[in-house]
Amino acid sequence: MLKRVIAPVMSVFVVMSVSYMGYFGSRYLDGGIVQQWMAGFFGTTYFLSIGFGALYVYTATYVRGASLPQRITASLVNPLIWMTKEALRLTISHPLLESLYWYFNPLDIWLISFVIMEMGLGTLVGRSIQKRRDRSIRVVTAGPFAVIAGSLVFAVAVYAWGEGENIYVLFLKGYRFFFGYGL
Amino acid sequence: MRLTVYRRYPGSLPVVVTVLMAWLVVCGVAGAEVETGQQRPNLVFILGDNHNAGTMGCAGHPFIQTPGMDRLAKEGILFENAFNTTSLCSPSRASILTGAYAHKHGVKNNHTPWTGEMKTFLADLAENGYATAFIGKWHMPGEGLPEMPFLDLFVSYTYREGQGAYFNCPMIVNGREVPSRTPYITAEATDYAIEFMRRVLGENREEPLRPFCIYLSHRPGHPPYKAPQGIAGMYADADVTTVLPPQADPLWYGKTKGNVFQGVMMGSYDNEYRKYCETLTAMDRDIVRLLEEMDAMGLADNTVVIYMGDNGMQWGTHDHHGIREAYEDSLRLPLIVRAPGLVLDPGSKRGQMVLNIDMAPTLLDMAGLDVPATMDGQSLVPLLKDRQIQGRKAFLVEFWRYFPENTPSYTGIRTNRYKYIQFARGRSPWLFDILNDPGELNNLMGTPQGETILPELKSRLAHLIARTDPD
Repeated sequence: MLKRVIAPVMSVFVVMSVSYMGYFGSRYLDGGIVQQWMAGFFGTTYFLSIGFGALYVYTATYVRGASLPQRITASLVNPLIWMTKEALRLTISHPLLESLYWYFNPLDIWLISFVIMEMGLGTLVGRSIQKRRDRSIRVVTAGPFAVIAGSLVFAVAVYAWGEGENIYVLFLKGYRFFFGYGL
Repeated sequence: MRLTVYRRYPGSLPVVVTVLMAWLVVCGVAGAEVETGQQRPNLVFILGDNHNAGTMGCAGHPFIQTPGMDRLAKEGILFENAFNTTSLCSPSRASILTGAYAHKHGVKNNHTPWTGEMKTFLADLAENGYATAFIGKWHMPGEGLPEMPFLDLFVSYTYREGQGAYFNCPMIVNGREVPSRTPYITAEATDYAIEFMRRVLGENREEPLRPFCIYLSHRPGHPPYKAPQGIAGMYADADVTTVLPPQADPLWYGKTKGNVFQGVMMGSYDNEYRKYCETLTAMDRDIVRLLEEMDAMGLADNTVVIYMGDNGMQWGTHDHHGIREAYEDSLRLPLIVRAPGLVLDPGSKRGQMVLNIDMAPTLLDMAGLDVPATMDGQSLVPLLKDRQIQGRKAFLVEFWRYFPENTPSYTGIRTNRYKYIQFARGRSPWLFDILNDPGELNNLMGTPQGETILPELKSRLAHLIARTDPD
């Protein structure tokens, strides 16, 4: 379990955490090349760990023989940690329930759809790695392709619908439906 | 006297009588003019969106081109200490229209609906003979657009929560949805304004003269930033290092201090800022066009033109991005008033504190109308006439939490020297000596200086709240 599931999750989590500290910590420097370099570097690794860490986690857990529920759960852990951090930041100004509604914001919806896409991609990558070890495995099947295509189409469609503005409007309407004006 | 003149100059009686009659006729006509409103000025109020007060050529910005605003400043007055009382779009817009603080008009954040219970200055002007038009961004919550039957023209949009779109935005004209006629939104709104002026002037040829008031509310300054062809990309190589703070990350659009990390979803911060400036220049291009049309129609000498923003905008200062924090960048507004006949020193600046809630009383005052007691603002007319007049000493700063932004509700006071802000939750109070610390870097709370001045500020804050409390 440790090697099969927890280790891949933790490795991405460490990258994400160090990147977070490096990115936001750079603000304490007074500008200049070091601050800009830190912000640029850690901003990039932070983004990659949040947005594409699931590709590594799913592939690694697949190759190491984790079950499907384990692979899915492991792939979602780090994005959910980031989403939770973002939701909790709202508790400074809003009640907890309203803060939790932040989980449904367009950015999180995009992120989850990308994570699902990475699961499909991870399956293909994992199979091709295993194929090198065991020739009997079929790499390309309809399942992963359907997952990749479905999630990609969903993500693009959500963005194409008013460049993301319409889904954001829907998100705010949902907020008002559940919580009124927030006053 | 007339007899004396006649005795000395026997042939002069007809001349004297003629002069007297002419004088009486002139007086009579002039009186009628006042009655019918002929001599009252036309009023054009132009509103920008999220316009940082320093982002104008006339405010000393290093690269933005705003010849329209610069012209207004040259021919009018640039107010260097203009503020909004609630730094958020909808509450500020309601304050501009009603002349009242947000706790009084009730639009407390971008979710609370406009009820229409408080009268707008446009309604007052319409009741007193003005032809009135609201054109452009309404952007106050509620079901669709409000009923405002007193308006001669109401052009707006409800698209995307009332934010509209930069290109091909469907418009609602006097309650009827119509397709966009001109691709770019500021050009479209300006076209409606010009047509309205022409229409009123055309009507005036046959009827008693009727002054007009146009409320022209633009979208530029609001994301996602899109400028029209010919302006898009014009600042692509502009050096933003002198404008943005050194900590602003050029690569990532990170809303820092625990805010959303948006990453490449939004592009680089430097480019976002450049595109923001391009939209403001696009709006300015249509301000230039509007002023030139007014010149051509012969309206310039009897038309007041005001340009103002609804709230300011923080671009990375204090590691914040946005409009809602009680820092100076968010609270300060661009404000220029060109008022022919009132301003004796055009091209000069005023340093007195003026507010968004002053707009309604100012416009009513300019129209010769009484300012209703429900308005919290003050007319700027005395300040326009005389630069020596002392302005207000303090104003109330208020903000109500607005999902999904993580700024707590706050109340505070801004005096000529200090700013004190107390938060409803989640943050310790702020106390800044703006005079000696314009960057608001040293919070004086808990310091000996802070302890000395805090009681008086708290007392003045309580007084301001009590004075403006509708109950």
